[in-house]
Order: sequence, then C-alpha cells, then structure tokens
Amino acid sequence: MHILVFNEERFGSMDFSLLLQFFINGCMLGMMYALVAVGFTLFFGVLDVIVFSHGDSVMVGAFAGLTSYLFCMYISPGMPVWLVTFFVFLAGMAFVAGFGMLVSRFIIMPLRSAPALNTLLATMMLGTVMREAVRLFFPDGSNPKPFPRLLPDWSWKFGDVLLRFDNLALFVAGVLLIVGVAFLINHSRLGMAIRAVAQDAEAAQIMGVNFPLIVLLTFAIGSAVAAFAGLMNGLYYNEINFNLGLLLGAIGFSSAVIGGLGNIYGAILGGFVFAFLQVIGTVATPFSSAYKDVFAFGVVIVLMAIFPTGILSERQSQRV
Amino acid sequence: MRSSKDFFCCAGLAFALFAYLALLLGAEEEWSIAAYVLLGVVVVVVLVALDVFSTIERLVQSNERTCQVLMVLGTLGIIAVFRTDHYTLFLLGTIFIYSVAVLGINVQLGYAGVINFSGASFFGIGGYTAAVFLQHTPTPPLVTLLLGGIFSAVVGSVLLFPVLRTSGHYSALVTMAFALLLKVFLEVSEWLGGPQGLALPPFKFLGINFAEDLVLFGNEYSFYVKYDLACLLLLVMTFMFVQRIERSWMGLAMDAVRIDETAAACFGISIKRWKITAFTIGNFVIGVAGALYSMMLSYINPSNFTFSDSLLFLSILLLGGIGSIWGVIAATAFMVVIPEKFQVIQEYRYLIYSAMVLAMIVFRPSGLLPRKPRTYIAGGLL
Amino acid sequence: MSKVLFSCRSLTMKFGGLTALNKLDLDINEGDILGLVGPNGSGKTTFFNVVTGIYRPTDGQVVFDGYDITGFSPQAVFEAGISRTFQRSRLCLELSIFDNIMLGNFKTHNLGILGNIFRRKAFHKTCAEEIEKAVELIRLLNPALVGSIHRPVADLSMIDRRRIEICRALIGKPRLLFLDEPSAGMTHDETNQLMDEILAMKSDERRLTIVLIEHEMGIIGKVTTRCAVLNFGEKLCDGTYQSIVENPLVQEAYLGQEVTEDEV
Repeated sequence: MHILVFNEERFGSMDFSLLLQFFINGCMLGMMYALVAVGFTLFFGVLDVIVFSHGDSVMVGAFAGLTSYLFCMYISPGMPVWLVTFFVFLAGMAFVAGFGMLVSRFIIMPLRSAPALNTLLATMMLGTVMREAVRLFFPDGSNPKPFPRLLPDWSWKFGDVLLRFDNLALFVAGVLLIVGVAFLINHSRLGMAIRAVAQDAEAAQIMGVNFPLIVLLTFAIGSAVAAFAGLMNGLYYNEINFNLGLLLGAIGFSSAVIGGLGNIYGAILGGFVFAFLQVIGTVATPFSSAYKDVFAFGVVIVLMAIFPTGILSERQSQRV
Repeated sequence: MRSSKDFFCCAGLAFALFAYLALLLGAEEEWSIAAYVLLGVVVVVVLVALDVFSTIERLVQSNERTCQVLMVLGTLGIIAVFRTDHYTLFLLGTIFIYSVAVLGINVQLGYAGVINFSGASFFGIGGYTAAVFLQHTPTPPLVTLLLGGIFSAVVGSVLLFPVLRTSGHYSALVTMAFALLLKVFLEVSEWLGGPQGLALPPFKFLGINFAEDLVLFGNEYSFYVKYDLACLLLLVMTFMFVQRIERSWMGLAMDAVRIDETAAACFGISIKRWKITAFTIGNFVIGVAGALYSMMLSYINPSNFTFSDSLLFLSILLLGGIGSIWGVIAATAFMVVIPEKFQVIQEYRYLIYSAMVLAMIVFRPSGLLPRKPRTYIAGGLL
Repeated sequence: MSKVLFSCRSLTMKFGGLTALNKLDLDINEGDILGLVGPNGSGKTTFFNVVTGIYRPTDGQVVFDGYDITGFSPQAVFEAGISRTFQRSRLCLELSIFDNIMLGNFKTHNLGILGNIFRRKAFHKTCAEEIEKAVELIRLLNPALVGSIHRPVADLSMIDRRRIEICRALIGKPRLLFLDEPSAGMTHDETNQLMDEILAMKSDERRLTIVLIEHEMGIIGKVTTRCAVLNFGEKLCDGTYQSIVENPLVQEAYLGQEVTEDEV
C-alpha cells in the first residue's frame, strides 16, 4: 500500500527508484483520468455538450460494482474470484451504461436547443442528485466504503521499486479498453455513424443515420468506460467514497479540454498531462504535496490561456 | 405614481406578501410550515389560472418606485417583527447577502455572458481579505468591506486573461479550475488558518459594535437586527447599482456582447472592454458581500466557499431567471428559507435543491420571474 | 462627385486550401450604389467579412477614404465609417427594436461607466434624443413600427427585421454601407418594397455609398448605379448594369455552360 500514498515528507535527495514509483503512480492516475476524459470528449463530439455528471457516473460505477460484489458474496460465498471480478465489471459497466442512456434520453436530448450553459448546469445538478442519492440511500453511504481486493496481490521487486500485478493488470486493461474504444470509433460502422453525427448531425440524419440511437449508444459506451474507471479507482485505492466523482469529473473535464474537446487522442493526452502535473506538483514544487491540486489546476488555467481551444484542436472558423 | 388607487393596490399586495412571509418565517411546527407553503402554492396557481399576474405585473411596472419603497418598508417590517429572534434574523441577513453576491454573478453572466463558476471563491476572497485585515491591521471594518471587494476584483483580473481568450466550455473550465484551486489553497494554507479557518472581529461602524445586542428605549433586541440593516442597505445599494447598469448604455453593450459577439464588434462595441468591466464589477460586488457575510458569521473556513457553493449561486440565478433582479432576490429567499424551515428535509436539501433546479432547467429555463425587456427609465415605457 | 471612397487591391483570402477571394481589385466611388453579384460561393460575403474586419485578409490592401484599413478589427473598421448588415439576420432577438438600433451608434452616446450609473439626468436626456433619432429612421422605412419600438425584435416579421437591421447600420451615420443580401428570405413584392425604401433613404443621404449583394438581376438593374461580378473569388468584370449583363463571361458564369452553348 505504501507506494500508493504520496509521501508527505519533503524530498531532499530524490533517488531514482522513488522517481520510478512516482512514474508508476502517474501512469495509473493518468489512465484513470484518460478513461473519464474519453467520455467527456465523446459526448461533446456527438452533441456539443458537457455532461458534468460524468464524474459521478464513475462513482456510481464503483458503487454498482461494490453492490454486485456484495450480492455475489451473499448468494454464493464460495464463488471463484475471477467470476466475481467478471460479474463486478459486467454489472458496474452495464448499470452505468443503462443509466447514461436514460440521462441522454431524458435530460440531454430535451435540452439540445437550450444554451450550452443550461446543459452544463443541468448535468452538474444531476451529478449532485446522484452523489446525494448514494450518500443518503446507500447503506451508511456517507462514509468511505472498503472496496474488495479482487485481483491477486502478486508483486515483483526491481531493486527498490515494487511493481504490483494488480496495478499492471488494471493499466493493461485500461489500455485495451481505450484501444478498443478508439478502434470502435475509427473502424466500425457504429463508429463511422458516431463520427458522422459528430461532424454534422443534420447531414448524418439525412444520410440515414439513426441519430437518437447513435446518441444512446455513444452515451452507453462513454458511461461504461466511466464505470470501468470507477472500478479501477476502487481496486487501486481499495476504498470508494460517494464524493469521489466531483473531483474526478472536474479532472476528466479538464483533461478533455486540455486535449481539445471532441478529440479522443486529445482526451488521453490530457488525462496523462493532468496526472503528471499532479505528480510534478507533489515532487518538484517547493511546497508540501498538499499543493499538488493547486499546482495542477493552476497549470490548467495557464494552458487554457496559451491554447484557448485545447492542445490538439482544429481551428474552426465561424460562419457569419 | 399614476393614481392613489394604484398606490393602495400596490400597498395591499405588498402587505399581503410580507404578512405571508412573516407567517411563514414565524411558523415553527412542520405541519404549519407545510400548510403555509401549500397555501402559497395554491394562491400562485389560482392567480396564474385567473390570469391576474399580468395585471399585477403591469401595476407593478407602472408604479415601480412605489413598489420598490414598499418592498424595503415591508422588509424592515419583517425585521421589526422578528427583532428578538436570532435565528430568523440570521436567515434574513443570509438572504440579503446571498442576493448581493448573486447579483454580482448576474452582472457577469446575465448581462455580459461571462461564465463564472467560482462565485463562491470570490465571495471567500472577500471574506478572507476582511479577516486578515481585521486581524493584523487596525483597518476600520467599513474600509475592509471595500478592500474585500477590491481584492476579489484584483484576484479576478488574474483570471481575466484566460477567460477572455477562451469561450464557452473552455472558459467555464478556467473558472471551475480556479474554484477548485482556491478551495484547496485555503485548506492547506497555514497562514489562512487551514481547514479551521479564521475568526473575525465584529463589524463596527460609527462606534456601534454590531456583535452586541441592540438596546432601544430600554428594550433588548438581537444584535442581528444591526447586521440585517447593514445587509439590507448593501442589498438596496447593489440593487440600484445593478439596475442602473442594466438601464443604461452599459447594460445594452453588455447584452450585445453576450448575445452576439460578432455583431457587437461590427458596431464598434469592444468585447474585451465590456467583459472585463462586467467581470470586475461582478467580482467586486461578490467580494464586498463576502466580507460583510464573514463578519456576520464571525468565523470563516474553506468549507463555506466550495465549488458547490458556486454552483448554488448559479442555481439561484437560473432559478430566479437570468438577468432578472427581482428573480434573484425571490430565488435566494426561496433557496435559503425552505430547507432551513423544514428541518426534516435538512439532510435531503442538496438532493432537493439540485433536483428542483434540474427540473427548472428542463421545464422552465427562463426562471421563476423571467427578465423583462429593457426599460431605460423607471415606471415609463421608455 | 466621383471621388473614389473605397478601393481594394489584390485582396486575397484563403481558408486552408480554399481560396475564397483571389486578387480582388475593386474601386467604389462616393455616392454610388454598387451591386455585387455572383453565384453562390463566389466570395461576396467573404468580401464583406474581410473588409469589415471579421476575417484578416491573407494578402492585399483595403483603402477607405485615403486610409489603409487592411486588417483592422471590426471595431476599428466601424469607427472608420463602414457599417453593415448580415446575410443571416444578426439582430439581438431578445432585445427591443430601440435597443438594437442603439447598438449602431453606441460610441456616440456612451457616457462612460460612472456617467451611465450616476448621471441619470444626462442619461435620460441622451436617451430621449436617441429615441427621436431612432423614430425618425424607422419612420423612413416602416412608420407602423414607430409605436412598438420597445417590443422585442423577436416579435417582428422577416422584412421588419431587415428594416431594423438597416436602421441599426444607418444610425451611426456611416459613409459606406454594406448590405449583405437584404432580400434573403423575402417574397418578390417584399424585396421590391424594401429596395424602394432603400432608394428613398438614399435620396435623403446623397453622399452615402452602398454596396449591395443581391441575386435578382432585375433588382440590381433597378437599384444600382454600378455592378461588379464575382465568380470563384475573382472579379469577372465591373461596370454599368447594361455592360455586365451583356458581358459573355458573366452570362457563362451565371447561366452555366450548357445554356450558353444552347444559345450559341
């Protein structure tokens, strides 16, 4: 557990292995942020909206996973761990995907013609509703919940560096998921429809793309990815909390925006940029590590000043 | 004023409104509060059904000054009724201060269209500025109010550059990042008291200590009466200030910048200038409000100024109707009083708040009291 | 009378690989009504946008009244004395008619921040004056609107919105007015009516120079004193209406290859 928690002490002489540990940590965080940011950027792509409750979908995913774990333990305590893990992921991702579809159908779509701010605020309110609902209605929801260790705790030691199997597995799974989503978007019929809608919803509709269906599927995909991020968060920290969505949402949004909204690769880049900003904030700033978020968000503001439409964005000229 | 008949109509309406508010605020048992709320809802529904509202609206519009004076008198009446009740008076003060802060956001978002997701941060900057100055220097409290506003505007000007360069969601992110940043900063900064925050000495003016109970003609009244009067004065001043902004060429320029930047620029209106003006004025107003609020609380900590509070400000603005000054005040009163009165739902208040605002955005996006087309001179069509 | 008020030299605007304007040379005399014609996508609106500062030209020079205004911001172009309307109406729909018109001469009556807030007497005075000016202009175009100048523009019909847009462009007393297809979305009769109004207004303001984008050639013939034809971002020719109508290049661009062949 010790590598997961940032050391609060000041680092006078920084040795290589410690740096490597920070690097591993940054990769894990970056993967999580990238997964969240991909959802933001997908939704922005198809509908030009920011769905701020996406961060809370991450949290709901983690809680749905926890619930299904408890359910599995209840009906058959002797169930093999790999099966439980499978169920946890399946249930978490399916639940959040379904929820995301409902959100898109009943909140996002009716607000399509409204100003962008209204959608943003509406989804922020929705996020609060989700957060509060979990806090109030999940048994003892206002306290942090232990999340089961589902992955084997093998680890390898390279010198002073501890590489844990569960970290590696989660990271690889994350990479596979992102590659899968990117492949889906770039090389499948569904992906082609999504890209068509992203470019010009009206034209796509005229060409026979079923717009409402594509929106639903996009929300299902993005939300399922968010749920995966939530489960990853739970497995990584072995603890989940009704409140984790707010900051993750803000970070995911920041990452998507840093990368340039609507661009999947931008979102991934943004996620890792943000994670490493936090790591740098912990390691390299002259203050204590408590300032890491101050540093990271400060840099985000500066980045926005330099790249007002994100790092990897195409310039768009407006029609007059 | 058009006629004495109009005057009596207005006075009657104001009396009914404030009598109702007094009853609601004074009610203690859950069932009586629920009954009053129900009564209010029924009356509103009946008025809407009978189409009386448009008549009232016309009446109020053509007797604007009278109505404004009546509103202030009514509020003073409410303060007089609850003169010994700390709790209700504190609620009233909170309503006044929050209204001031949301009016600041209204100038930014409602007029110039500058998104600000860090309203509570500027509120906090005002409060912390007052706290630091009052703790470490012999600055008179009245001056610290101004300093709170000035500091908040100055810190805001750091954000101006990225805010002006970005638009839409991108500039929303800038202010959001600032809100999160400032909250963490306040929590970890030892100099500012960390999570425990800072204590503030009371507001003093002309030798009057606002933390001591008010003694008039040998009777003792709550010290909050003084704070309420100060807050009400601030609200009245802000009200006039913001209304004059709206009813002037400034308001027009800001509206143009919000609605269509390209068209505005093509008619010689500087986008930058008006966004800067609106953002700075807004932050100043929010900062002053924050300074007075923290003196009234006498103790501030970072949890008063979170991102959720910024969201609350924006929700109030949306609930009341973006750009609508009376809407802001009505929505603030609603958002502050209802959860406080229903202790049962206290626990559920964020859930109810957000569900309500969500429903509002989906079903009535123009708000409770939508903004009216601009009139440049009070009372007239003009 | 025929002093050159506006001219551009080899004005070029490229968007990525697309050349929207290619080495455009154009002179406009003071007091002219210049008709700018050309097929869709020939660069007429881009020309307006480049001149009024919405786009920065890739190359070339714009001279107005002897001053080089190339690459000026929209504000600076407006201050130099050029005003415009938009193809897709860009009124502020939720604002009143009066508000929209007032945007057009914002600079002249603004009292500064403190003046706006604290000098209410002075403000009321300017306000009353401005209302008179606005009413005078509206009366020129549609007297029926005078009574409702405090109604939101959203309530108005298309033709009235165009009128208000023209009022907004005129109230700042520009020397050069760009009208970007004012007849878009209007019936034939409405178009004729609007053009008569523009002519009437022009006869009041002899020195005003107008550039008009219009598709209907009949209207162009009736209203304009000179014409310029654009095609694929290049100027085909300019001159009197008669000369351009008879120009074979124009016939080809406008009527298309096949028809021309048929005629031959």
